[in-house]
Amino acid sequence: MKYTYIITTIVSLVLFSCGKEGLEGPNLNDLYGELNIESTLIIYGDSVSFADQEEVFFSAEFSKIVDWTIKITGISSQSEKIISGKSNSINKNNSLWAGDVTSLPFFSSEDCSVLLSFKNHDDSIFDILNISSQKIYGNGKEVLISDFENGFNPNFTNFFQTTCLKKIEIGNAGEGTKFLRQEGTCDWDWLIGYVDYPKANWYQQEVLSANPDNVYFNIMIYGDSTLSPTNEANSLFKIEFYEDENQDNYYDPNSEDRLDLEFNIDWNGWKMISVRYSDLVLATDPNGGGVNGNAIREPNKVFKVRTLLLANPVSGFAKADVDYIIWSEDSPILEQ
Amino acid sequence: MKTKHTYLFFVFFLSSQLLFSQIDSRVWYDGNSRAMFYRDALAGDLKKSDTTSARSNGEGYTAIDLGIHFNPSKEIEIFSEIRIKNDFGYMWGSGAYVDLRRLSVRGILNDRVSFNLGDIYLKQTEFTLYNNDQELSKYESSVFQSYNDLINYENFYEENYWRTQGIQSNFSYTFYNAIKSLELDGFASRVRGNQWLGKPELLMLGGSSILRLENNIKLAGHYINSFEVQSTSNDSAVYKNPVFNIQASYYKKINNRTYSMKIEGGSSLRSWKKTNGSQQSIEKSQGGYFKFFSKARTKKSTIDLSFKYVDPNFRSAGAQTRRVIYESSPSSYPYFTNNTVLRPVSLMDITTDPNIYNQRLSTVLMNFNPQYGAVNPYGEATPNRAGVSGVYNYIGNFLTGEIKLNLLSEIIGQGTANKRSLLSLGTSVVVRLDKVLKTKNKLNFEISSYLENVSRDGNSIEEIDFHSRLLSAGLSYELFENLKLISGIKTFVSIGNEVGTERDEYDKIIGYSLFNFDSEESIQLIGLQYNFTDDIYFSLQTNTINFVDKMSLDKELKLTRIYFMFNMNL
Repeated sequence: MKYTYIITTIVSLVLFSCGKEGLEGPNLNDLYGELNIESTLIIYGDSVSFADQEEVFFSAEFSKIVDWTIKITGISSQSEKIISGKSNSINKNNSLWAGDVTSLPFFSSEDCSVLLSFKNHDDSIFDILNISSQKIYGNGKEVLISDFENGFNPNFTNFFQTTCLKKIEIGNAGEGTKFLRQEGTCDWDWLIGYVDYPKANWYQQEVLSANPDNVYFNIMIYGDSTLSPTNEANSLFKIEFYEDENQDNYYDPNSEDRLDLEFNIDWNGWKMISVRYSDLVLATDPNGGGVNGNAIREPNKVFKVRTLLLANPVSGFAKADVDYIIWSEDSPILEQ
Repeated sequence: MKTKHTYLFFVFFLSSQLLFSQIDSRVWYDGNSRAMFYRDALAGDLKKSDTTSARSNGEGYTAIDLGIHFNPSKEIEIFSEIRIKNDFGYMWGSGAYVDLRRLSVRGILNDRVSFNLGDIYLKQTEFTLYNNDQELSKYESSVFQSYNDLINYENFYEENYWRTQGIQSNFSYTFYNAIKSLELDGFASRVRGNQWLGKPELLMLGGSSILRLENNIKLAGHYINSFEVQSTSNDSAVYKNPVFNIQASYYKKINNRTYSMKIEGGSSLRSWKKTNGSQQSIEKSQGGYFKFFSKARTKKSTIDLSFKYVDPNFRSAGAQTRRVIYESSPSSYPYFTNNTVLRPVSLMDITTDPNIYNQRLSTVLMNFNPQYGAVNPYGEATPNRAGVSGVYNYIGNFLTGEIKLNLLSEIIGQGTANKRSLLSLGTSVVVRLDKVLKTKNKLNFEISSYLENVSRDGNSIEEIDFHSRLLSAGLSYELFENLKLISGIKTFVSIGNEVGTERDEYDKIIGYSLFNFDSEESIQLIGLQYNFTDDIYFSLQTNTINFVDKMSLDKELKLTRIYFMFNMNL
């Protein structure tokens, strides 16, 4: 029996050393430990030319895995790019930036503030990054309707109520320097105003693809619902797409289609609205046309785009500035 | 009205049964009875500072559990146990209940195969199916027996069996060659039934086979599988937990000493199959365990030595389900202080409150409070433990004692590469002072202690340094035959820090709770106990209960209690 205890002791000692590597559950230090910046934030690719497909990335190292956020803000444009992650280091793999934007407007050639901050920690690191040339969106297949940099094309027929405003503004544009300001109060009608963008007067005259699944309409809209008397979204925006199905340079509501998109302007600041042509709905108002065509979405036969700003006459004021109206192919313009 | 009808039915039923029992011996009765009453009164500083809680509260009841046994033939017995309970403080039956507490059929087929249907009690090994004792219950004086009996009885805790519903059958066959006998046992039970818009049914199948060979060798195999039935619910996840166990044991007698050893091992698979539309995914974990046990026994003493290794991923619903539910609301003063804070489950509730206990197997590791048991919170099958244990027992003429030591370590660190080292040391001594002092009246003195130490190296977040100590003592003096004066004390101190785990619905650790303990608790008892037999007694006692959490000064509770219990188990 003496041997039993010797065996027990040996087995115990052997198996005591049978620990496993690694750990069970999330790391305690990551959850509760102090955050130390082991290696400070470095910007790789300052004075970047995004127009030349150059890129920027960042590096930093921390004492623990942490939720981090890099916020890049254009000092003059006030545009924003947010890069975030959860790791104990920032490197090229998790922080590469090609000049795209998280919050409009677009970046311009400007200095940007770079702020690295952490969830549940007060630490932050600040730096400056220069953009020598901003990113050019598009894959070469885009068709620009207007970005208003050359002013308002007089061939864009329009109507605005006498109490309402349509005006080209300079500064604080979504893209470039100019945009079309549209706002006002009309207490007798829903319509604040509309603008027609006939195809013949688009800035670029390339032909759109015939595949509606591949064509996207993009428009940048500035909303400011805080200007509403009730501090709520009061502006209704409608976009109508008129198809000239028989290619006779005339839209006939009795025999051709109109497609619509309608939404509330319930945000503040610039926002890009992008819609795939195949997701547009056929107009259902017989008097407005659109139900008598071939009911086939044909972006290559778009004759005219009309944008309408509407508001309830009771609650009055409405605002929806527009900029950078552009068709894109394959994906929304901001993804290119 | 409904209650009245229930009574009428019961009176007719009982009277007819009584008449029947007088004319036919195939029906016979037994039963248990209990009358219990307690009243708690606030005391100490809380009595002044807490102006929202009642100055005192209490409750009591009388209950009779009437067992009716019916033998339609000599091989079959139908057993039902009906509880008639009457809460104190109500009239005309408004606080009275009649419940079916137990119903089962058992019998023997062909004098070979026994079966049991209905409410069944199941136990296998400490790694497959085992109802582990609640924390701090082993090292307490027998003067607290009346509380312990109450908790065990009300929660259907019979030794370490789990009570469930289903069918069980077993048979044994004796050979006359190298194989002495073969025993087979199988069961199927429904652990959880249908839930409206809830989880699927949980079933449990299992079996054991024991082969006794010549030369005192025994081989055994055990299998248990707890699983959910997907078709019984719209829930997208279905649980499965098969566990295996094989054992080999041997004993030999040499010069009035018996030596034995046992080796056992096995493995578990625990998975949740999740369906999301046409996609299926599986959350799966596999783990094994191993235990070596040896024992030497003489006429007056035994020594056990054992080693165990339980993988961090070993999961066994039958053996790892805990008794105490720490999320429970205690019966006495569930809310206290002027902020009406939910009172956490403490030593007082673990010792005295049957309502914080669990009666059903759990498919995930239940929460535990490391303050009251950090070394083996899920019993012998606690995952992520390896180490040695030793037990020494002595039974003398006027003194019996036990020392148990556990020296364990984690196999893998929780939240850190550093591993916990765990130590527990339990000692208990019972002295028959009447034999020492040679007095006529019985005089027993009991003292026991239980210590736990947990430590882990690391930085300030990872480091653990926790100590707890339970001291219990009891004295019983026979005033005259069968009437004892009893007094006892339990004190519990915990100090240090520990790290608790937070788990998701699939038992994965998703976070931690950082605990800092510095608390003192005590229960003092003095009273009288009259024993008609060991299982029939009444106890009248007064308790003083203290709970002080020094980490939070407003968490202080002092109660005085009057407690009466009449207990009759037949």
